[in-house]
Amino acid sequence: MTENTPYIAISSIRKGYRLGAEAIPIFSDLDLSIPRGDFVAVMGPSGSGKSTLLNMLAGIDGPDAGTLRIGTSRLDQMGESARSSWRAHNMGIVFQFYNLLPMLTAAENVELPLLLKPLSRKDRRNRVEKVLDLVGLAGREKQYPAMMSGGEQQRVGIARAIVSDPGLLLCDEPTGDLDRKSADEVLGMLRFLNQEMEKTIVMVTHDPQAALYANRTLHLDKGNFHEEKRAA
Amino acid sequence: MMFLDLARKNAWRKPMRTVLLIVCIAVAFLIYGLTASFLAGTQGTSAASDDILGVMSASGRTEPLPIAYMSRLAADPDIAAVGYMTRLRGFVDIDRNVVAVSAADPDLLMTVNGKGLGLTPELVKAIGEGRDRVLVGRALANAQGWRVGQRVAVTAFDTRKEDGGRDWRFEIAGIFEGENAATDTYFMIARYDYVNTARARAKDTVDAFIVRPRDGVPSGELAARIDALFANSAAPTRTQSEKQFLEAFLRQYADIGLIVNLVVGAAFVTLLMIVVNTMVFAVRERTFEIGVLKTLGFSRLGIMTLILGETLFVFAVGGSLGLVLAKLATMISGPELGLVFSLSVLAKGLAIIAALGLVTSALPAFNAMRTPIINALRAR
Repeated sequence: MTENTPYIAISSIRKGYRLGAEAIPIFSDLDLSIPRGDFVAVMGPSGSGKSTLLNMLAGIDGPDAGTLRIGTSRLDQMGESARSSWRAHNMGIVFQFYNLLPMLTAAENVELPLLLKPLSRKDRRNRVEKVLDLVGLAGREKQYPAMMSGGEQQRVGIARAIVSDPGLLLCDEPTGDLDRKSADEVLGMLRFLNQEMEKTIVMVTHDPQAALYANRTLHLDKGNFHEEKRAA
Repeated sequence: MMFLDLARKNAWRKPMRTVLLIVCIAVAFLIYGLTASFLAGTQGTSAASDDILGVMSASGRTEPLPIAYMSRLAADPDIAAVGYMTRLRGFVDIDRNVVAVSAADPDLLMTVNGKGLGLTPELVKAIGEGRDRVLVGRALANAQGWRVGQRVAVTAFDTRKEDGGRDWRFEIAGIFEGENAATDTYFMIARYDYVNTARARAKDTVDAFIVRPRDGVPSGELAARIDALFANSAAPTRTQSEKQFLEAFLRQYADIGLIVNLVVGAAFVTLLMIVVNTMVFAVRERTFEIGVLKTLGFSRLGIMTLILGETLFVFAVGGSLGLVLAKLATMISGPELGLVFSLSVLAKGLAIIAALGLVTSALPAFNAMRTPIINALRAR
């Protein structure tokens, strides 16, 4: 892989769903390149395929045809267990509704992805403390999700996504459930992760203000991307 | 946090449901523990020997055999020792307080089965010091509150004395302990010469001969040869091991083993259905979270292990609780009920805990494992 090779390379992707006997096409010939370290916002109307794209990038859904490469991994050629392992080591995901497990504390939620790695209990605890500190939740380790605000829960969600130090961060409407202030804090944090920690971020959002935090915005419509031109 | 912690926290997320499930499992294993202890210790069958043979009348165990058979048995070179006994059943004080008296030659009994009964030379010497002296088993002594030196009267159901009375008076010369907790000690040993002389009928007969084969002699073959020896005599014999005899004796009333297995089986089948149903619903409620875990990179095997661990945790807590309660119950109930919570009962119980845990988690684990992530994430 050369320096110019994109980190995410989607080529001639075809994807559709069946609704009974009816076939519903989402993408018929989708191409996309994202370089390493980019922060891309994906916008588009409902049903345009944003979530389908994110699911394919996360390896939880596969294309019907075409190639999907992230780093050196061909996700379109992987079986389910290989994709599970790939997710555990290469990708973090931030959900709209945080999706924290209610019976686990903040620290335990963050620790979850580390259970899949050969780390000692002490190493896991150190990493959890470090990322919770990074997202501004030091000292809140033992709090349960129900004891936290939406913004704080989302910060726990971000900590969980980055704790195993993945190269790719996928965000599915990360501020969709937050007030403006909390949303700006979360988005600022994502920008920090992109700029300071060189994470490649793909963020699906409906919020044009959220998209401004990204380096560029792609509009997905009728199965094709259109890049938004920004004022210099 | 470890994988097991995660399983444990999942199990406790609905504490009331988990507690009820644990109680349900504990009750089933309490039933198992008690019934298996009953089976293990049923009147001493678990401790009864397969090597000691009992020679009884082929016409039934109440039919006596002439004591003259003794010399023919003793002459067999494959027999290491032989003794005899006659059984006297009666009650003490009230007719529900039934006791059994085995009238035997204490020296011969010591030779044949002294180790099994826990007889000592001191005990044999003590009973030999008076014709009406008896040795009382520990279980019977404890149940009746008897002490050494005390005089007791047993009113026989059938065995009348020459004077027409049915009251047999004995003096307690000692207490025998039995080889271990599973040994039946709920009876007393009297002197045959005293009972035989005093009884009105069936003099010079015995209810059974007790035979110990020489080392290396197959007891089954010896039993067949003994029966062949008396096949054409006036009182043909039926020879069985002590264990076979006790089991056959109990089977006269009912196949206790079968009944116990049916009761335990019914309890476990009910338990299986309850737990499977509960676990299927519990896991279905968490379909979305399973989707999240899979998205984080948990493999299908990891998800299956998690649910397996959760069910096994509930079974381990409930099952152990049930077995501990059963053990306590056997200790509190005392030896007269004949409950023996042996190591094999415990080992079998633990094996059942593991097996039921695996079986009950199989369906929910399989469902969770198979659910596609996309579908799971839509389940919120």
